[in-house]
Amino acid sequence: MVEMVSRPYARAFEAFAAGNPDILCLSADLTSSCEIDGFRDRHPDQFVSLGMAEQNMMSFAGGLGLAGFRPFLHTFGVFMYRRPYDQLIASIAYPRRKVRLMGFLPGVTTPGGMTHQAIEDIAVMRSIPNMTILETGDATEVESICAAADSVDGPVWCRVLRGSVPRLFDTPIRLGEMRVLAAGTDVLVVTSGICTEEAMRARAALAKAGVSIRHLHLHTIKPFDAAALLDHIGSVKHGVVTLENHVTEGGVGSLVAETMADAGIGKRLIRLGLKDSFAHGGSRPYLMRYYGLDALALVRGIADLTGAAFDITEEDLAAARVDEVHSLVKAEAL
Amino acid sequence: MTPAELRRIANRIRRRDVQAVFEAGAGHIGGEMSVIDLLTCLYFHELSVDPADPLDPERDRLILSKGHTALALYIVLSEKGFIPKQEISTFLGHRSRLNGHPNRVYVPGVETNTGPLGHGLPVGVGMAKAAKLDRRSWRTFVITGDGEMQEGSNWEAIMTAAQFRLDNLTLIIDHNRLQQGASLADTNELAPFAPKLAAFGWHVEEIDGHDPAGICRAVSRATGTPDKPKCIVAHTNKGHGISFMSDNVAWHHKVPNVEQYEQAMAELAEAAE
Ligand SMILES: Cc1ncc(C[n+]2csc(CCOP(=O)(O)OP(=O)(O)O)c2C)c(N)n1
Ligand SMILES: [Mg+2]
Repeated sequence: MVEMVSRPYARAFEAFAAGNPDILCLSADLTSSCEIDGFRDRHPDQFVSLGMAEQNMMSFAGGLGLAGFRPFLHTFGVFMYRRPYDQLIASIAYPRRKVRLMGFLPGVTTPGGMTHQAIEDIAVMRSIPNMTILETGDATEVESICAAADSVDGPVWCRVLRGSVPRLFDTPIRLGEMRVLAAGTDVLVVTSGICTEEAMRARAALAKAGVSIRHLHLHTIKPFDAAALLDHIGSVKHGVVTLENHVTEGGVGSLVAETMADAGIGKRLIRLGLKDSFAHGGSRPYLMRYYGLDALALVRGIADLTGAAFDITEEDLAAARVDEVHSLVKAEAL
Repeated sequence: MTPAELRRIANRIRRRDVQAVFEAGAGHIGGEMSVIDLLTCLYFHELSVDPADPLDPERDRLILSKGHTALALYIVLSEKGFIPKQEISTFLGHRSRLNGHPNRVYVPGVETNTGPLGHGLPVGVGMAKAAKLDRRSWRTFVITGDGEMQEGSNWEAIMTAAQFRLDNLTLIIDHNRLQQGASLADTNELAPFAPKLAAFGWHVEEIDGHDPAGICRAVSRATGTPDKPKCIVAHTNKGHGISFMSDNVAWHHKVPNVEQYEQAMAELAEAAE
């Protein structure tokens, strides 16, 4: 049974930031939606409300950074880069400000539809010099992302999970490393964020079907340890499948593809994720099923890669966690 | 249509909205209650739009820039005949056209996708300029939230509209004094809006945004100044019509429980009589 942790960011951010006067908590009118309402109430001196004005928030943070503060910006991921992109480059990325960009509701985890889905943020951030990229896949990573991000001498893009988050790992994020979750020899599976839980659900059924999976989870997407990935690719027979809560262009799939191409690796790679497509609005499990981001999509990808036919259905997958559904949770949905 | 008839329609739309939020378990009920009278008067009294020909080049355009209140727009569009009334029950459902934010690709009558606040007015300014370039007489209306006006993009658009003398453009600010997490006064206060818009060269009207007669007068062609874009500062209440929601920031996107739902429906039913 997977432990579900309620609002891990709320507690972790407060524990990390409270009493550290160099850290400021910035919000663009999504304070409760980013779980910093308690921090606002208990630490008003470290809380700065900027209203719905993300471009201003971004350059304002650059100004704070110039004066030695380490601002943590909070809003939905989409609003953190689509509009204030120029500000992000000129005020923060180029001058390497220690600004921590906490983007909530990554990818299809929002019910808000196309305008609220950050589905290409990793592609954008990967191409920005000086940027570090972290993505959380469980409660332990959410709990350790503040310390990890704040250890970086420069800006950090963070994909943060909120609400009820499963605990999959015991150890905190160690910047720049990758987690080896299974060390099989047939297929290498590389996942990040919420897709890691999906891959974990599929593993037992795949093992039963006779496929030996090597599974890597990436919490640090940039910088990236190419040599370690190549070692893992060298340890599997068939090739690699990536699964990500993002478009397949520019994200983890591309990162793996580039690493393989640069090293002249001739193995096959199957990239799963959103396929050059904006997604519809809907619940997360529905969207993950519909757009092929879930455990079953991974099973199909592995069947494609190995040429095997599996008789694996939803019932064979490890129990999916059950999201709490009551009006309070729903009320927080946007 | 008379103010009394408009009131009746708005009341019916409010009740359908509360029911849909309750059933879907999500929605932005506060901002929906505050904008419904504005939408009702526009669609049932002022706008020249035809559900049988939603893309008629001569139609008036309305952009609901505060796209989080899409549900209110969907219900108005269903009352007008753009979409079937029974479709409202699919709101936020799997594969429904009725997403949390309006999507022009799926829903006839929706002019542009909104949801990222601060996006609708600049699009509306472009539309109004297009009508001028084409020498057409159709008009463009944009409704923004008051908190939404904190987005700098709006003020760039306000500047442009005045520069291009877009007297075919009407901006209606749904001035309910609250944004998502707090009042404007405790965030970035923008009130009073009227002198700010006037200083940018706009014709400004201030109205009670829940009074159909006042809304209809302000949005009509007869009200305005040649060569100036028009801004209507509509004084509204978030959660209007439901006592425990009205003016209460907690109801930005809260969902009523059973008792709250029943009380809200009872209050609205009583107001309808
Ligand atoms: C660019 C952007 N930032 C933040 C949000 C999240 N958000 C949705 S509604 C809302 C508050 C809107 O307040 P207001 O404009 O006053 O609308 P109303 O009171 O009518 O609901 C916020 C911050 C958003 N949709 N877009
Ligand atoms: Mg408001």
